[in-house]
Amino acid sequence: MSNSTRDHILSRLYKAQSTARPFIEPEHCPEPTENIAGELLVDRFKALIEAQGSCFERASGNDGVLKVLADVFNRKGISRAMASTDRFISALDLPGWAKQKGFAITTQKDYEDRTAFKRAVFTEVDAGITGADFGFAESGTLCLMANGDMPRLTSLAPIIHIAVLPSSRLISSYEQMAETVFGETPPSQLILITGPSMTGDIQATPFKGMHGPRELIVILKDD
Amino acid sequence: MKPQTHRYKEIAREQMADRRARGFLDLLRAVAEKRKSAYEDFPNPDAAREYSRAVRAAAVARLPQLLEQFEKSASRAGAKVYWAADAEDANAYIVRLAKERNISYVIKGKSMVTEESGLNEALAAEGVQPYESDLGEFIIQLLERPPFHIVGPAINIDPQEISDIFIEKGVMSDATTDPVELGYAARCYLREKFHHLEMGITGINMAVAETGTIINVENEGNIRFCKSSPDIQVSIMSLEKVVPTMKEALFVLRTLCRSATGQKLGAYVSMDTGPKKKEEIDGPSELHIVILDNGRSTIYEDAAYREVLQCIRCGACLGNCPIYGKIGGYSYGWAYSGPMGQALTPLLLGLDRTKDLYYSCTLCRTCRDVCPAGLHHPRLLRRHRQKQREKDPVFHGSGLKVREEIGLRGFALAAATPTLWRSAIRAARLAMNRKSHGGIIREVLGKSEGWLASRDLPCVGSPTFNEWFRKNRS
Repeated sequence: MSNSTRDHILSRLYKAQSTARPFIEPEHCPEPTENIAGELLVDRFKALIEAQGSCFERASGNDGVLKVLADVFNRKGISRAMASTDRFISALDLPGWAKQKGFAITTQKDYEDRTAFKRAVFTEVDAGITGADFGFAESGTLCLMANGDMPRLTSLAPIIHIAVLPSSRLISSYEQMAETVFGETPPSQLILITGPSMTGDIQATPFKGMHGPRELIVILKDD
Repeated sequence: MKPQTHRYKEIAREQMADRRARGFLDLLRAVAEKRKSAYEDFPNPDAAREYSRAVRAAAVARLPQLLEQFEKSASRAGAKVYWAADAEDANAYIVRLAKERNISYVIKGKSMVTEESGLNEALAAEGVQPYESDLGEFIIQLLERPPFHIVGPAINIDPQEISDIFIEKGVMSDATTDPVELGYAARCYLREKFHHLEMGITGINMAVAETGTIINVENEGNIRFCKSSPDIQVSIMSLEKVVPTMKEALFVLRTLCRSATGQKLGAYVSMDTGPKKKEEIDGPSELHIVILDNGRSTIYEDAAYREVLQCIRCGACLGNCPIYGKIGGYSYGWAYSGPMGQALTPLLLGLDRTKDLYYSCTLCRTCRDVCPAGLHHPRLLRRHRQKQREKDPVFHGSGLKVREEIGLRGFALAAATPTLWRSAIRAARLAMNRKSHGGIIREVLGKSEGWLASRDLPCVGSPTFNEWFRKNRS
């Protein structure tokens, strides 16, 4: 019976609290990059992205992003990709663009259910393309928020993940994001991505693409 | 996982002779350096560590309030919270869930608490196949070994041995000792299972009371798969993992990752607040959060032991421990190794079954100095020794051997009585110095093993300092 267990555990903990030792209230501790802004943010973000072994690209406007994408598709031999439908990606009309260029891009909305979507994202596509809600300069990290337009697997299952981050969404530290995101309706999942999937579990030898993407390509979009 | 804590000395001897374990343990020093330098981008690294310690201490001090708040917020977000009194209770809940949904296999993300609770064995016994998916855990599951290190469980294992077991268990068909190819074989094998997964099981690094969010940190992406592909997600935490606010959780993330691997942040941090929303195509429609006690509320009742609950399982204490650095993780005989294991395991398994864990410490305090969660390991270990001698009924202290008890009482009496001390010293000088070699006493009361086996006791001085001082003080 979970309820009586719950009450039993809590009552023991509450009772024990009377013997508490005094403790010091945590005071504010400055974050690593508190005072950085503008191009300094971009420099630090880029340096950290590249240090993780990810690829950093910079593009101007939607056309610039499409140009970078075409280049990445050709360089990496990508012919099929799964795109999310978040606002940064839907503005690019990737399915339409792909048709012109001879690629195939689908979104989760093209599949009737989870099973069909999973089949495609696990076995059929070469890359996943998503927007990023935030970028953090302090650690070279992307922040994605799962929702109807941002499936979790699009940034995880394909071997290459391409993320488009508007430069206005690049901020210095996590706390600035948390204040706005964890209010009334937090996302069902918030994902922080710092580099490709990796492991060092065998002999401490680094291996990228352990379960998730082997390559992460970040396109910083200036407007 | 069946405890082997009674075999500490035996396993430690084996491990000290194991060349591969030695090779890896010697590398630990470099990792410790990386960990230290990772703190350098804080304006004040010491202040960062202190802040993180303060957050953990305050969280443990307010534990019941925070747990209630967490339960409320998580339930409001749509998660189902289950309180489990012990390992059996938690395992039974998860097994029942799997059986009700006709689940044939589950995939697990790395989780120390399920090592503690023996969840894999419980699932397998009921015909539900559990697959570990962290590469290191996957390997040791196939080899049926305990974790060597809480962050790198299989890091000491010979690639040839991994190749052999992968072939034997059908993970791959062609032998290789290349770590990258071995990793790739595991990827391909597990990917198929992730694709069709119906129930994923993860641990929890932190639970945020304010928002009802659970946080996982990883590098491989296996935990994200466990939380994205299946329709049912079960996440299990020992009850001390709660922190008050998201802001504090975000800060502890920084110290956790730096202290674990020297990274600014793990490759993936995922934070779930409730199950997926209706319009989402993936993610779990059922999120079960199991809050496990398994002896923690008993620890909490002891005001001095309570501090052990501040641990965030980063493993920094292992990497810096001179003892761990010689004997590796197997010797500790259970899920938790190194100083954090020496502090925690005796409280969970009983002081009588874990004696070697808390005596095999030089009390050098390195663990305490690097700990970002504020544990004072040596103080906890000294308390274990005290409680063991006092035959503590709560933590199963079994007392000392009669001979040790008499020796200690005699010593205490002499140390508190100057005249007795002086004559005892004179007698000891006569008796013990005769059995010395190179200024070191080799035998006491005809015995050369035990305390003397690993320590150098210098000869009693002639004159002793006391005698010299009396003579020269004028």
